[in-house]
Amino acid sequence: MDGSEFAIELKNISKSFGSVAANKNINLTLKKGEILALLGENGSGKTTLMNMLSGIYKPDTGSVFVDGKKVVISSPEDSVKLGIGMVHQHFKLVNVFTAADNILIGKTGEGDKSFFLKKDRYDKVDAIIKNFGFELDSRKLVSNMSVSEKQTLEIVKVLYYGAKTIILDEPTAVLTVQETTKLFDVLRKMKEKGHSIIIITHKLNEVMDISDRVAILRKGEYIDTVNTSETSEKQLTELMVGRKIDLAIDRPKMEKTKPVLEIRGLSVKSDEGNLALEDVSFYLRGGEILGVAGIAGSGQKELCEALAGLRKIEAGRVLHKGEDIAGATPKQILEKGVTMSFVPEDRLGMGLAPSLSITDNVILKKYKEGKGILVDRKTGAKDAAKIIKELEIVTPSADTAVRKLSGGNVQKVLLGREIAIDPNVIVTAYPVRGLDINSSYAVYNILNEQKKKGVGILFVGEDLDVMLALCDKIMVLCHGKLMGVVHAHKTTKEELGLMMTGALNTVHRGGKTAGVAKDSAIVEDEIIYTDTEAAK
Amino acid sequence: MGFHLVRKTDIKIWQIALYYLAGIAVSLILGAVLLTSLEINAVDYYKDMFTAGLIGNRFPAKTIENFFVSFVPLLITSLALALSFKMRFWNIGGEGQFIIGALTSSVIALKCPNMNPFLILLLMVITGMVFSGITGLAIAFLKTKFNTNETLATLMINYIALYVIRFIGDTKADWNFFLREDSVRPKFASFEENARMPYIDIGGYHLQFSVIFTVLIAFGIWFYLKYTKQGYEISVVGDSSKTAKYAGMNVNKIVLRTMFISAAMIGLAGAFTASSSAGVSANITNNVGWTGIIVAWLSKLSIPGIVVASFLISILQYGCRIASASYPSIDSHFADLLQGIILFSVLAADFLANYKIVRRKETDNA
Repeated sequence: MDGSEFAIELKNISKSFGSVAANKNINLTLKKGEILALLGENGSGKTTLMNMLSGIYKPDTGSVFVDGKKVVISSPEDSVKLGIGMVHQHFKLVNVFTAADNILIGKTGEGDKSFFLKKDRYDKVDAIIKNFGFELDSRKLVSNMSVSEKQTLEIVKVLYYGAKTIILDEPTAVLTVQETTKLFDVLRKMKEKGHSIIIITHKLNEVMDISDRVAILRKGEYIDTVNTSETSEKQLTELMVGRKIDLAIDRPKMEKTKPVLEIRGLSVKSDEGNLALEDVSFYLRGGEILGVAGIAGSGQKELCEALAGLRKIEAGRVLHKGEDIAGATPKQILEKGVTMSFVPEDRLGMGLAPSLSITDNVILKKYKEGKGILVDRKTGAKDAAKIIKELEIVTPSADTAVRKLSGGNVQKVLLGREIAIDPNVIVTAYPVRGLDINSSYAVYNILNEQKKKGVGILFVGEDLDVMLALCDKIMVLCHGKLMGVVHAHKTTKEELGLMMTGALNTVHRGGKTAGVAKDSAIVEDEIIYTDTEAAK
Repeated sequence: MGFHLVRKTDIKIWQIALYYLAGIAVSLILGAVLLTSLEINAVDYYKDMFTAGLIGNRFPAKTIENFFVSFVPLLITSLALALSFKMRFWNIGGEGQFIIGALTSSVIALKCPNMNPFLILLLMVITGMVFSGITGLAIAFLKTKFNTNETLATLMINYIALYVIRFIGDTKADWNFFLREDSVRPKFASFEENARMPYIDIGGYHLQFSVIFTVLIAFGIWFYLKYTKQGYEISVVGDSSKTAKYAGMNVNKIVLRTMFISAAMIGLAGAFTASSSAGVSANITNNVGWTGIIVAWLSKLSIPGIVVASFLISILQYGCRIASASYPSIDSHFADLLQGIILFSVLAADFLANYKIVRRKETDNA
């Protein structure tokens, strides 16, 4: 333990995939008992670097020192033996096992060699949970756990394996504000007990909040390590991006039109057959951006699919400019000018055909236009060239397969196609998912341009800071139920967080019913009653 | 110290060709060792194999004709399989669909002995395509309706079809018009002259119509996939069926349609083969349903690639058979063995052409 001041030292680490260098000569140190934030844009090589510490990848060149001793980590087992534990962004848990059993399946080697599972396994796990002040039931099945509980379990797991150094890959991406605060408390406690922690994130406010030092990577290269107390968000951004950047997001003020989209009492089932959305009402005006906030899996995907005609509507009405479009086919909805672009977790699954060229992806929604049996690629190529030029997409040519583009460019292709059909409603989910700062701001600008044209935009997002700055109003979903619709400039992150967890319901706040427009095209007795109540 | 695989980027086509040639060379050396141990002169054997016995043959035209009889079904089947593979529909039922096409078309051939040759060929082709196509359609229907596993379903149809044709070929009975009446032992009947594949006589060489059609089909499929809306739909569905749905495509309809076309084309290959070999037999498929899978993947589902690959594999198969026929100490099984070694080496070469094995280095420039 006392070998060195540093828990981990990386010297001249390089790693390439094919001809792409993911890490170039990286030097990094982690002091014992500190929290080090690893900061960098997407594709800067953070996760690659950490995967080399956890034994998933092996460095091409360079050496790793743990406790001052040079080591070779050639498998995840080696990494565990050296006391390094990694909590991945995507959890690696068995759903039908209890918390304790999930921990024990990975435990090999020394210790319990018995053939049978013993009852005391729960006590062993409970001891660790208590020691660090976690909130977790060791007998609970993973399938019944919330995202935050699963993450806690992952952390308990690495601690149980005896990790002294813990690496967390974007742990807050899936958490609410309150859960993040709780996580940070636990991390501070772990630090007190002598653990060293590396936290990967690109949220600057969290970096400032939790870390002792910040190491910055840019495009696979190590830039610098700075003390958190001596830096600022602005300086960190400059180090991360390599130049000065304006962090403010524009929110142009627009003349409001009548609602272009009105949703009333919408209920939709999930793939598993339970209600993913229950009696949700909201409306969207032209020239406004309505944010949809909620913990992952609160019905956002089902909402988007229902609006695009891809999912059956169980109950409720969907009005587009006063005309009911519930039950219309995706094609009919598209022809009305409602486009939906959903960026799923794998970023390519819905909306794009990754192996096909940009041109072929651009023509996706109108390939049937034109007479005859042949696809009109000439017009498609023109459209593609226009999108590439206007959105500044970096690509060798329009014939390049979409999967060969970088994340930001892929998303620009997707958005570009949707905008090219001159929509009046844009439903977009996670359009900046996984994008770096530059690309994200490019996407915000694209959306704002559309807003200025009078398009109504439904923006399903993850980052509350962004939504607070970009959206005019934010509606919050929790377990498929509407928790309220609030003005972005009047609300706070904390309030949104409470609504996201279901602790606060503002649907009937102030005598008004959230999600029901005053000038609604829907005339219903009950609604009119509520409106008159509000008028009193 | 460890090894890992890195996918090579920007490999040139001639580099791949070089790897393939090296792979074939290695397999030929292995084959030569086997041949020498059987006391056969490997050089003579390979000469026979690569020239398909054309040199010193008194009837070269016949050899070329026979070559095309085995090339046509393999090419059509590979093209048909590529069509469904492009859609990520794993149709491994080429064997069964081929037998269904051959068997049903032979019903027409045997029942209409006096029909006009072109009319009967047309009827045979339509029958073979429709029945085989319906099999494919049924499997696609189960897939779209109940999400059954198409790999298992197509595989099982292979066995059903195989044992049906064996049963017919082994059962002497009054109802069984497939067999020769003048033979006591069960034997498949030959078609009358009118049901045999018509040909154009080019100076003694008989160019069968099936060869001409096959060239047209290959061009048609290439055009269909590359330029038509339906072809575009197939690539989108194959790449991401979610995206296809999102674009408003009727994915089920596309799957049903494509699978019908794929199976019908294999049925067509069966009908062609029945007609050009003037009858059916239990081993009429010559394994094209399986070899076609290899051809389709070896060519990475590219249509021009499939034409080239199936041509080369047909030469290999045909040459192997001819060469082994001229040596009494080996039989056609040796030809199959050698074919297997060559194919395996080519696949290994293909892997090595696309990936490189990298040894991890460690440096101490601290």
